Amino acid sequence: MSAARRPARAPYVRKAYWNEPAMGFWERAYLFEILRGLAITGGVFLRNMGKWVTGRKGALTTYYPEETRRDYARNNRGKHVLTQRPDGRPQCVACNMCATVCPAKVIEIEAGFDPADAEHPKYPVRFEIDYSRCVFCGLCVEACPEDAIRMDKTVPDLPSPDRLQMWLGKEELLAWKPERDVAKPYPPAPGGHEGTTP
Amino acid sequence: MPEIFVDGVAIEAKDGQTVMEAARDAGIYIPGFCWHPQLSVAGNCRLCMVEVEGDTGGWMDIACNMPATRGMKVLTQSPKVKERRKTMLEMVLLNHPVDCGVCDKAGECMLQDYHYEHNGAASVATVAKHRTTKFHELSKRIVLDNERCVLCSRCVRFTKEVSKSHALGILDRGDHSLVRCDEKRSLDDDPYSDNVVDLCPVGALLSRRFLYKSRVWYLQPTPSVCPGCERGCTVDLWHRKAEWKFNALDPRQNVAIERVTPRENPAVNGPWICNKARDLPDLLERPRGGAPMLKGARVPLAEAAGAARRMIDAASSPVALISSWGSNEELAAARDALGPRFRCFVKADHVPQPGERVGDDFLIRPDKNPNGKRARELFGTAPVSLDGADLVLVWGEGFDFADVPRGAKSILLNAFLAPENGHADAYFPTTLQTERAGHYTNFAGVVSAFAPIRRAPAGSVDAEALFGMLAAVARVPA
Repeated sequence: MSAARRPARAPYVRKAYWNEPAMGFWERAYLFEILRGLAITGGVFLRNMGKWVTGRKGALTTYYPEETRRDYARNNRGKHVLTQRPDGRPQCVACNMCATVCPAKVIEIEAGFDPADAEHPKYPVRFEIDYSRCVFCGLCVEACPEDAIRMDKTVPDLPSPDRLQMWLGKEELLAWKPERDVAKPYPPAPGGHEGTTP
Repeated sequence: MPEIFVDGVAIEAKDGQTVMEAARDAGIYIPGFCWHPQLSVAGNCRLCMVEVEGDTGGWMDIACNMPATRGMKVLTQSPKVKERRKTMLEMVLLNHPVDCGVCDKAGECMLQDYHYEHNGAASVATVAKHRTTKFHELSKRIVLDNERCVLCSRCVRFTKEVSKSHALGILDRGDHSLVRCDEKRSLDDDPYSDNVVDLCPVGALLSRRFLYKSRVWYLQPTPSVCPGCERGCTVDLWHRKAEWKFNALDPRQNVAIERVTPRENPAVNGPWICNKARDLPDLLERPRGGAPMLKGARVPLAEAAGAARRMIDAASSPVALISSWGSNEELAAARDALGPRFRCFVKADHVPQPGERVGDDFLIRPDKNPNGKRARELFGTAPVSLDGADLVLVWGEGFDFADVPRGAKSILLNAFLAPENGHADAYFPTTLQTERAGHYTNFAGVVSAFAPIRRAPAGSVDAEALFGMLAAVARVPA
C-alpha cells in the first residue's frame, strides 16, 4: 500500500476571538437556561396571540397579504411605473436599454412603429416585467434615457402560487398618476425638451 | 509591386492599389464611411485622411483615393490625422439626430463605432440641428431617415454600379442634400434593393421588414444557404439569442428568422444577395405539416413508416420524385434507399412565381431550387414519367396529385401544410433546412453548408433518417 504521501498538516489551532463566549455556572447547568429561553419565546407568542384574538393592533406578525405595511422609505425601490406624456401615451420609446441592462432579464418589450409621429416613431406595444424574478436593483431606472421608467416606493404585492402570474404589463405600469411630482413637473409641460445632443 | 510603409511597417501593395486597399489587405484598419471594397471611390467622407511623410514636410490626403507608390511613408495614427478625424466626425454629427435609442442600426453602426473610437466628445454646435424628413418611403421595402444620413453615397453608387437600376440619386447641396429616387425609375423594380440597408454605414436606410423588430444585440447569425434559386447564396439567418428568450411575449419570436443578411463569399455571391433571400421567412416559416398521417389519419411515425414499407414491398413498379430542395446528405440517403428499387426522377419543387425576376446576369438564376444540380447528378435528367407506376413517392412540393395514375398508391414527404398531405396514402412531415445541418451544391458546383437555428417541430422527421427506415426493405431486389 504505497499511496502517495500527503504533506503533513499543521495541527489545528482554534482561533481566539475577542468576545469568546464564556459560560457561567447557571449556563453550564443547561436546564434553567433552556426554561428561560422557552419563557421568552412563549411570552412573545402568547402576547401576539392575545392581540390577534382580541383584534388589537401591534402584533409583531404581519398577516401578508391581508396586511401590508405602508411605511416604506420615500426612496424605496418598489413597483415600476411608466411615466406618461401630457396626452397620456407612455414616454417609453422602446429602446430596450432597461431590458438590456436588467441583470435578471425580466423586462420584455415589443416595439411598434408609428410613422405619423416623427418625434416618437417607436413606442412600446407591450411592456412586461416579471416580478417573480425582479431583484429591484433600479438599474432600469438609471439606464432609461427618457425618464420613462421609475420605481414607486410601494412594492408590487403579487403573491401567487404560480410564478407565471407575477407579470405586470403596460396597462398596470401606466396606472400611476400623481398630483405632484417633486422630481419633475407632472404631467410634463407641453413643448418640453425633446431634442438630444451628442 | 510597390513597397510602402504604413505607420513604419513595410507592406507590399499590388500594382494599382490605393493606400486604403493595401492597408486593409495588410490588416491595418483605416476608418471611412464612403469607401467600400466593391464600389467605386467617392472620397466624400474625408474620414480616411492619412498623413504622408515627404522630404518637403509631407501632406495630408485621403487613403481611399491615393495610389500606393514605391517608398511612400504613410501615418494613420499621427496627432494630425487624429485631429482631422475628430473634426470630420464633429461635422458629421452637426445635424445627425443621435437617436441611437430608437435606431435599428445601433450596435452595428459605423458612426457609433467611430465616435467612440475617434471623437467621444459632446457636440460643440450651438445652433439647432437641421431638421428634414423622417421615414421617407424610397420603396415598399425601404424607408429613409434623412436626418441620420451622412451622405456617403454608397447606396447611390450601389444602384449605379452593382444592381444597375440607377434608381437613387442625391438632390440639392450642402446640408440640404437628400437621397431620393429617380423620377423615372423606381427602387421597387430593383430586386437587389435591400443591399443598400446593409451598405448604409448609419441607420438612414431602414428595412421595413426589420423595422423595430429587435435590437441587433439580441440576435445572433447562423450561417445558411438561400434556397431561393440555384445560385445558393450564402446568407446569415439572424435569430434571437437563447439568453434573450422571451417568456411573456410571443414565443414564436424566439425561433423566428428576424432578418437575413449576406455572408460574404467571393466564390458565389460576393457580399450581396437579392430581395428574395431577405424574404426567406416567407418561404421557410409557412404553416407546417404536423404529424405523420395514413390517408389523413394521424398515426405515430413507426406505424406510418411500417405502412410505407409494406406499400414499397408490394409495389411492382414504384416511381420516386426526388426533391431538388434536398441537401446533399439527404439526396445520398435517397439514392441508397430508393435507387435500387424505384425509378427516380428529379422534380422542380419551385418554379418562378408571377412577377418574380426569372434570371439575370448578376445573381438570380432561372432554376428556383437550391440543389437541382446535385439531384440531377445522382438521379439523371430524364423528364418525369409516371407511366405504369403503381406507387408514387413524392418528396417535396411542386407536384400535382391529379397526375398520380389511377389506382396507384402514394407516399408524400412534405414539410408544409398542404391539402395533398391528407390525400396521400402515407404522409411524412419532413424537417426544413433551418432545423438540420447539411450542404447544397449550387449550379457551378460550389458546395455551401447550412446550420440549424431551431429544433424541428414535434412529429416531423428528417428525410435522411426516414430514407434509412425505408431502406431496410427497399434494398431487397424485386
